[in-house]
Amino acid sequence: MAAPTVEKVQEIREVTRIERIGAHSHIRGLGLDDALEARNVSQGMVGQLEARRAAGIILEMIKEGKIAGRAVLIAGHPGTGKTAIAMGMAQTLGTDTPFTSIAGSEIFSLEMSKTEALTQAFRKSIGVRIKEETEIIEGEVVEVQIDRPATGTGAKVGKLTLKTTEMETIYDLGQKMIESLTQEKVQAGDIITIDKATGKITKLGRSFTRARDYDATGAQTRFVQCPEGELQKRKEVVHTVTMHEIDVINSRTQGFLALFSGDTGEIKSEVREQINGKVAEWREEGKAEIVPGVLFIDEVHMLDIECFSFLNRALESDMAPILIMATNRGITRIRGTHYQSPHGIPIDLLDRLLIISTTPYDEKEIKQILKIRCEEEDVEMSGDALTVLTRIGMETSLRYAIQLITTANLVARKRKATEVDVDDIKRVYSLFLDESRSTQFLKEYQQEFMFNEMTSESMETS
Amino acid sequence: MDAQFTQKLVNELTSLEEVAEEILADKQEMIDLDKRRQKTREAVRALQKDKKIQKTWVCFGNTFLKLSTQQTKKLLEKDMRQIDDEIDEIRHNLKPKVNKLRDLEHQDDIKGFNLRPLSKEELQSLESFM
Repeated sequence: MAAPTVEKVQEIREVTRIERIGAHSHIRGLGLDDALEARNVSQGMVGQLEARRAAGIILEMIKEGKIAGRAVLIAGHPGTGKTAIAMGMAQTLGTDTPFTSIAGSEIFSLEMSKTEALTQAFRKSIGVRIKEETEIIEGEVVEVQIDRPATGTGAKVGKLTLKTTEMETIYDLGQKMIESLTQEKVQAGDIITIDKATGKITKLGRSFTRARDYDATGAQTRFVQCPEGELQKRKEVVHTVTMHEIDVINSRTQGFLALFSGDTGEIKSEVREQINGKVAEWREEGKAEIVPGVLFIDEVHMLDIECFSFLNRALESDMAPILIMATNRGITRIRGTHYQSPHGIPIDLLDRLLIISTTPYDEKEIKQILKIRCEEEDVEMSGDALTVLTRIGMETSLRYAIQLITTANLVARKRKATEVDVDDIKRVYSLFLDESRSTQFLKEYQQEFMFNEMTSESMETS
Repeated sequence: MDAQFTQKLVNELTSLEEVAEEILADKQEMIDLDKRRQKTREAVRALQKDKKIQKTWVCFGNTFLKLSTQQTKKLLEKDMRQIDDEIDEIRHNLKPKVNKLRDLEHQDDIKGFNLRPLSKEELQSLESFM
């Protein structure tokens, strides 16, 4: 009895590991070549050539800073890669351009108003590039020499010898520097930097030349090369922070704590105005650059008419990011009104959008996607099984077929096989219903379910 | 056609090498200047320490002169200021050169390269992120 339970525990562990692979984890970019032509299969993207090409052109414009305050709508059937394209765009932009992704329903929260949530999302997508400049002395400690006065009390004096690969020099030390040196436990062989303005000492690690195999070194000891070049250097660091981060720091006394606990609450508009002013001033003085990022709103039809009119206005601001929206709705009611509109978006906003549409995948593309997902989820599948799974994907939905990959793998592993076979697919196909079979089942047995009085109309329409 | 292409390639590579060489030379000069700066600083410190000595030996080229400590210190400090200025100038000129090199290599300019740094107080308001 004991043996099977042990096995089961292991199986559960496997499941949790596999769960961590997200639905779009295989996307590494848009898969375009230098001429912005979409390659058929590249960087995890398959098919949707035209949509990807359009997205690529928009990205190029974003990179060159040519468009700001524009909006893009990705529209298409469910499971045609809208989110995948958005993820691909985010990956291509790199880490320097802020990319915020929210779902339309995320803005409905009790803690803050809809417009506040939207404003925060907007400001998270605007980066400010700033530069920090410090004069530092960087070198390897050759010798620290501290003279204590004979009386025991009184000012200590000392000498610090530093070297780089090019030169060596001696500094005379005052009381304060000696104190901070002893505090940092600096000794010969350490690589240190001294901030010239503040006198702050930072230990970077120990020199490689002093590394010995038999030394009892702690785990934290880092070995670094002896610095090159001059001793006194100017270090320039460029940071990109988002407007939202600046907001949060300045709206509370212990601002950054609030940022990490996630409880930012509402930020006063006066604070925002002040910050806008300051950033504009920095920009005038050549001290800061604005980096318009990308805000991606998935399921945009979940926004209501108030949000849409807010978006209309917000896009006109001179520091607006690029807004990318995705929806899978056709002509439908705009939330919060009785009016119908394409994609559930008011016509006046729709007018400002560049619309990219995605088309359903064909059989070959579905097969390719399933293959990529199999690799991503570490599942080996026989050719026949993949064909069967592709057929399932064609007849039901791509999402359903992708979900069968992992489950079929578990079944295959249960019978101690390394490869998923047709039988495994058949088994999970009978275990898990897809949407149409589930509907079928409900239609047949609705009498036996509870609260089925409202079925007569709604069931017929579906 | 082929000769033209070769000529173009040679020209491009020559200008690339030229700029790269200039940058390397500048870097070396900065190191040499810093070396001199550190030595001068050491000399000034040494003079400051010994307050009794009225006159010191100073080496100009290949002749030693005995000058008053006061005057020597003044000379050294003037030297140091000059070195500082020179280093600043080289640093200032280095940036356009690096940008030119990247341009020739068909790379984008480094982001935020030409920004002016924020002052201490301004940085403090953003400190927690850095």
